[in-house]
Amino acid sequence: MRMAGKEGARMRRGIIWSGTITIGLVNVPVKLHTMIFDKSVTFRFLHKTDGSPLKYQKVCIKEDKVIPWEDIVKGYEVRKDEFITFTNEELKAARPESDQRIRIDKFIDYLSIDPAYFDKSYILTPDKDSDAYSLLLAALEKMGKAAVGKITLRTKEYPVLVHSYNGALVLTTLRYAYEVADPRKLEEIRELKEPKKEELDLAKKIVVDLSGEFDITEYKDTFKEKIEELVGKKTKGETIIVEKAVKEEAKELMVALQETLKQLKKK
Amino acid sequence: MSERFTKAEFTNLDKVLYPELRITKAQVIEYYIKIAPKMLNPLANRPIVLTRFPNGIDKEGFYEKDAPLGTPSWVETFKRYSETARREINYVVCNNLDTLLWLANLAALEMHMTLSKVDSFETPDLVVFDLDPKPPADYHEAIEAALLVKEKLDALGLVSYVKTSGKKGLHIILPIIQGYTFKQTREFVQRISKYLAKQTQLIAAERSKSNTSGKVYIDYVQNSHGRTMICPYSLRATPLATVSTPLEWIEVKKGLNPEEFNLYSVVKIAKNPWKGLLDNKQKLETK
Repeated sequence: MRMAGKEGARMRRGIIWSGTITIGLVNVPVKLHTMIFDKSVTFRFLHKTDGSPLKYQKVCIKEDKVIPWEDIVKGYEVRKDEFITFTNEELKAARPESDQRIRIDKFIDYLSIDPAYFDKSYILTPDKDSDAYSLLLAALEKMGKAAVGKITLRTKEYPVLVHSYNGALVLTTLRYAYEVADPRKLEEIRELKEPKKEELDLAKKIVVDLSGEFDITEYKDTFKEKIEELVGKKTKGETIIVEKAVKEEAKELMVALQETLKQLKKK
Repeated sequence: MSERFTKAEFTNLDKVLYPELRITKAQVIEYYIKIAPKMLNPLANRPIVLTRFPNGIDKEGFYEKDAPLGTPSWVETFKRYSETARREINYVVCNNLDTLLWLANLAALEMHMTLSKVDSFETPDLVVFDLDPKPPADYHEAIEAALLVKEKLDALGLVSYVKTSGKKGLHIILPIIQGYTFKQTREFVQRISKYLAKQTQLIAAERSKSNTSGKVYIDYVQNSHGRTMICPYSLRATPLATVSTPLEWIEVKKGLNPEEFNLYSVVKIAKNPWKGLLDNKQKLETK
């Protein structure tokens, strides 16, 4: 199925990887598409006086001058302000090679992984032949299962979950165990008391009363909405009153300075 | 026009250094002018290390140990080999209002000071318990841990002083008599931390990544030659322009929020909780 319109065009462009899902001796050729789009409000930094966009530069702390790329190495901070350096060659040799495979280790119940481990999702589409793809998708959907395995994307290896969503296979990269804190390490959690039966019954009743269907579209980013509204107004030429910085600050500083000098003299 | 009052020159006063609150360099300088009567005393005769944010806190700042090029001749400096940096450093020493304001104009938002003074640089006159809550632990845990440290120091007959780090942590300070080595003060802090870590899950005395998360780590290594701590009343490069604020112990209790102490609020505090700190030199029980 082809997606219509702009979203579809962008998603077809958004192929970031192609390879095969390998389950034992079975191979499912797939392409990986971007699925998550960060739509939060972003701003560019401009030069206030001429409106020109600004760029970043790497400045040497000691010499206070801009350092060109060829003179930059990467440092691993062993202790504060103490570094071990690495060359690009060394780092490249240490990085895993992408072998164009999503290696599946086993199938699990989708709900047995806590969302705390979910990192980022990608849409999988069939590459060339779609029979194997349809078969894997149908099997996962029917059995309510998901596949776990690993993938190397660019230069990083991730644990992944392959699952079905809205009639497609979706790959979600997972965080490593050591990246997620265990709540049992918190004293408040370990020391939680068992609630009394009557209390629990009441709580259950409230949960039942407030139960409903989840609809993510009910949630809005109010900051984004406000900014978009302001952008609309600004482009229409309506004025927006910004608090003006007082040009008298130097004078104010002198007043504060005299007061401090008086206090210091008293000591 | 400022020459009548200070040797420091003020430039780019309109520059926004804290974008979230739209705080300009003029406001930062004004803050340091107003806080100077309380800040200068603990700072006196100590080498200072700067973190400068000339383009505001959302741009990369830089850490500056040496007095920068173009340091005016009237600014005092102190040359000494640093064991931490493994080279000779030409430190800035801030002994007067002019130097403080010159630093403020450099957008040296954060000023860090050593625990020893220039006249006896090898031996500390301050001991610091640097309480650093490791996520998901937060300032609530730091406050709880600070009260336990204080209780223990009280039991040893030691008078301690406290300040917010300006971030999530708290610093507990003991002024001490001259003559202890950094090794001795470090071991003293480590001994007390280890003792407390045995008493409560809340406190960690060793830095190992696996088991400090959710705990308050007492970084005893801060008590080392050449190491620095954020100066009392220094601003921090945080979105809310927080300040490392000296507090009275009675204020350190549940509900205290270190984020409430910032560029605007701290200058309104009339009292000086650290008054007399440097005169209250104490003996430590060391091994």
